[in-house]
Amino acid sequence: MSVKAFELVPAVEWEQLTAEKARAAVECIECCGEHLYVCTSDCVLHHFLLEARTTAKGRHTYRTQKLLQKVLNSKKPAAELKAASALDRLVVLCDAAISLVDMLTLEAVPSGGAKLRGVTAFSVNENPVTGDAFCVEMAVVSARRRAVHICTVHEDRVQVLKEVVTPEQPCALAMDGYFLCLALPMQYMILNYSTGVSQDLFPYNSQERKPIVKRIGREEFLLAAPGGLGMFANAEGISQRAPVSWSEGVLAAAVCFPYVVALDEGFVTVHSMLDQQLKQTLSFREGHVLQDFEGKVLLASTKAVFVLVPLPLETQIQDLLASRRVEEALVLTEGAQRNIPKDKFQMLHKRILQQAGFIQFGQLQFSEAKEHFRRGQLDVRELISLYPLLLPASSSFTRCQPPLHEFADLSQLAQGDPEKVERCKHFLIGYLREARAGEAANGFREDVDTALLKLYAEAGHDSLLDLLASENACLLADSAPWLEKHHRYFALGILYHYNGQDAVALQLWVRVVNGDLCDPTCTNLFQYIVDFLSRCPNLDLVWKYADWALQKDQKIGVQIFTKRPISKELLNADDVITYLQKHHRALLLYLEHLVLERKVQREKYHTHLAVLYADQVLGLLSRPADTREHLASARTKLQHLLRESSLYRVQLLLGKLQDSELLLVERAILHGKLDEHDTALHILVHQLRDTTAAEDYCTWASAARGHAHRRRLYHHLLGRYLDPDMPGGPRAVEAVDLLNRHSEVFDAVQVLKLLPEAWSLGLLHPFLCGALRASVHACRTTQVALGLARAENLQLHRDRLKYRGGPILMSEKKGCHLCHNTFRDPECMCLPGGTPVHTHCAAQKLQDTPIKRRLDRTHTSNHT
Amino acid sequence: MHAQRKMRKPDIKMVILGDMNVGKTSLLHRYTERSFKDTLSTVGGAFFLKQWGPYNISIWDTAGREQFHGLGSMYCRGAAAVILTYDVTSWQSLVQLEERFLSLTDSANGDCIFAIVGNKADLTDACARDVAPKAVRLEEGDESDHLECPTPPHTPTVHKQVMREDALALYNRIIHSKVLEKRTSPPAEDVCFETSAKTGYNVDTLFETLFELLLPSIICTQTQVESPTVCLEDYEEMKKKKPVCCT
Ligand SMILES: Nc1nc2c(ncn2[C@@H]2O[C@H](COP(=O)(O)OP(=O)(O)O)[C@@H](O)[C@H]2O)c(=O)[nH]1
Ligand SMILES: [Mg+2]
Repeated sequence: MSVKAFELVPAVEWEQLTAEKARAAVECIECCGEHLYVCTSDCVLHHFLLEARTTAKGRHTYRTQKLLQKVLNSKKPAAELKAASALDRLVVLCDAAISLVDMLTLEAVPSGGAKLRGVTAFSVNENPVTGDAFCVEMAVVSARRRAVHICTVHEDRVQVLKEVVTPEQPCALAMDGYFLCLALPMQYMILNYSTGVSQDLFPYNSQERKPIVKRIGREEFLLAAPGGLGMFANAEGISQRAPVSWSEGVLAAAVCFPYVVALDEGFVTVHSMLDQQLKQTLSFREGHVLQDFEGKVLLASTKAVFVLVPLPLETQIQDLLASRRVEEALVLTEGAQRNIPKDKFQMLHKRILQQAGFIQFGQLQFSEAKEHFRRGQLDVRELISLYPLLLPASSSFTRCQPPLHEFADLSQLAQGDPEKVERCKHFLIGYLREARAGEAANGFREDVDTALLKLYAEAGHDSLLDLLASENACLLADSAPWLEKHHRYFALGILYHYNGQDAVALQLWVRVVNGDLCDPTCTNLFQYIVDFLSRCPNLDLVWKYADWALQKDQKIGVQIFTKRPISKELLNADDVITYLQKHHRALLLYLEHLVLERKVQREKYHTHLAVLYADQVLGLLSRPADTREHLASARTKLQHLLRESSLYRVQLLLGKLQDSELLLVERAILHGKLDEHDTALHILVHQLRDTTAAEDYCTWASAARGHAHRRRLYHHLLGRYLDPDMPGGPRAVEAVDLLNRHSEVFDAVQVLKLLPEAWSLGLLHPFLCGALRASVHACRTTQVALGLARAENLQLHRDRLKYRGGPILMSEKKGCHLCHNTFRDPECMCLPGGTPVHTHCAAQKLQDTPIKRRLDRTHTSNHT
Repeated sequence: MHAQRKMRKPDIKMVILGDMNVGKTSLLHRYTERSFKDTLSTVGGAFFLKQWGPYNISIWDTAGREQFHGLGSMYCRGAAAVILTYDVTSWQSLVQLEERFLSLTDSANGDCIFAIVGNKADLTDACARDVAPKAVRLEEGDESDHLECPTPPHTPTVHKQVMREDALALYNRIIHSKVLEKRTSPPAEDVCFETSAKTGYNVDTLFETLFELLLPSIICTQTQVESPTVCLEDYEEMKKKKPVCCT
């Protein structure tokens, strides 16, 4: 496959070159700006003006105008022409001699200085080293001399600067700076004429095949190598580009980046320097000159001159893309980076990457496509727009012009294959997801999110809900019909909610729950609605749908009220209670929520709940059949509340339960609440006859009230057991049990007084042991405590003395601070601060100031 | 970015030499593209730029044909490593290395590292044929290949003409003839490989080992630009480190 990289455009026709009868052939050409010089075999030098034109259709043409022609003063035509535009001179190699011709008049300029004769080849230095703008540097090869002459050409003379000796006589050469690249008869070499350092390149038989030596850039040359290769070599003799493969009969070569153009007997071949590939072949007969002049490649047959016009880079790239040669197109684009201004290159590169991506996308090579889209910073909407109806109607997007691809839409791309369509959609889902995560979707989030929503809805994708639940920019107007179409009503509701239309959302959901609509993707929508309402700040909506929810299921429905966040509660609990009157079960649950969970400390709720519990229990009692378990659990709840709460109205409940012969525990608790322990215990012991309950009662009723209260209760209980007036007589066994088990609570002395004389010691053995042990224990601990307290006191004394200072020295010469008499005996008192005074003086002083007495506690100490 | 990478100048150069058809192009293809396919005969030469960590290594593939022989020393100029490749089933291909290709390496760097590689080991050694499938993906339908290797790969009866000892001996002769210092040249065991471009056997090892060995020179060429003194120290350091990263 090939690219069209160049176009062959005629520049000078046969008729413009020869007179009618003469048969002149083109010998050599030179082009300098718009000036074209052609020397024909009849020794005529022609001067043309070459004007580039572009036709209306965008085709390149050249309009050639002959300015002058002149017969050379020689028997042979020129072998080589070279313009030195700064000097207005044309350097002509003719008949082995170099002469100068005026560029405009074509008159020979008599030149002074050195006469260069026997010249076989010369090369102008395009990277001059002299720095003189008005001279041209040149290397000249002379026949039968193993040397190269370095000269300078001035307006009117040629000057030889240096003779550089070469191992053999060169047959062709090129020059760059101080470097000469020479084709010797058997090899190529590079020679630095300033340092004399030389470097052999490779062998080449110049007799067999005409050597080619071309400077193609700074310190880089292109050489014809054996086997028809075009080798690159830099000044160090190193090849930095892979060779291109020409035919064996290659005649001439030129470089027009990024291509190497070569001419052989029948063809012009174009190779890319970037990937070595042959890109284009043009048939061209009798060609014998191919040269590049400042980027312009000219080609001459014997009869005519042509320009090889490179097609614009973009056209070439587009050609490659059109034939799906993505890699080559990218190589060509990237290879042109150096030749194009940076911003222009970036634009081009991006576009090519995007196009490449679409080509690969069309071939379902998704990972490659993605990579190219990413690098080309594709506007995701280009991709979305391939999928019909995905872009919201309101999107302002229009596809890039000229289009990035040839597809009208997805079905065209997939040629109706549903599996391919599916794969493309799958790709787009992944792509849009990544776009959302990065910055690629910035600026048109609505388009991206809406498209993604549609894809999800269509595919029945679970992520639809994730998308809607997170921050998104899905457009409601566009998405709603789509979601409806795919029966994603739950999702649609969420979208409505996201757009602040809770009422619509609820209406929709309720219809789904009621079975009017069907959304197979969601299961527990009722619970969701209830949760939704419980979080809903719009109370109107709450009230509106509460009835519906409660009618459907009170237990779940009541969560509308119970699950509400407490911190931002807008609902008044009383209102809720009033409202729930008709929903008995819900009301109970709500009160439970208030009292038991939230622990709201209001008498009203506690009483209400207790009453409801009691009613429930009483109701169950009136229906004795198969309600045992229910009754047990209802009673447990009631008892629990009665015990734990101290807010409800005891009398009210007592009144309710008074008549029940069965609810003795409850009644006992209520009496307990009223501190009527006797009654309570009476009920428990004599009516209920449950000693465990009685003991539990004692524990419960005294729980928060200290040991003394507890003791009192236990004594009550004991009293009840021993009460001789009770029906059935005293309960000796229970009493003994109680004593033996709770010996520590009782006051043993009192108990002993109460107990009948007749009871044996053995019967009360555990109690007495316990009591005795407790008493001994109390005695000992008290002693320990006393000892500890003493020790502590002593310790404090010691500390105090320590802080007060050292011992107080007494002598007969020391005087009392108060009476100023000396001490006679060692007994003294110290004032605070350690001043010794007479005992009697201190006493005197304390008596005088009784108030101070308390403050000035003095210590008696004995000092010797 | 991609473009810049392509345009970047290589930090170091490697050259693969050897007679035609020994599998030079296939080796390079296996390493860079991780696959094996029938290659076209290389015209003149080709090169790949391999990104190895932060470094760009250019690897030149050369043409073994007699016709392009003259270009060999040009390719070798400035090379930091030369891979001399032969075919384990062809004694002649080893002989050629010494007779024809060795002289081309005169233009390589003075401290150039040599490696001797016997390719097509899959034809003679069972172990080279069955490479762990993870490391290498065998190409399916290599029918065309059987033309080249007349025996089915399952019963390698192709006579192994070159033993590893021969390659080791050649290496030592090279070191000797080049008067390379024993001290700086890696030991023969480290740089003589038997590979198979077809199965991928030892291919990665070959290139990676060479890169490791080249690392000091790469750093050297890079630092030379800034300060040659640092370079020497770095070199010492790299040498000390080397056993660590090799084990
Ligand atoms: N069996 C086998 N054949 C190989 C191997 N490497 C290359 N070949 C074949 O040998 C032939 C020459 O390979 P090529 O890479 O072109 O050799 P080059 O001339 O050195 O570049 C091709 O037909 C390859 O398929 C290998 O490791 N094993
Ligand atoms: Mg090859």
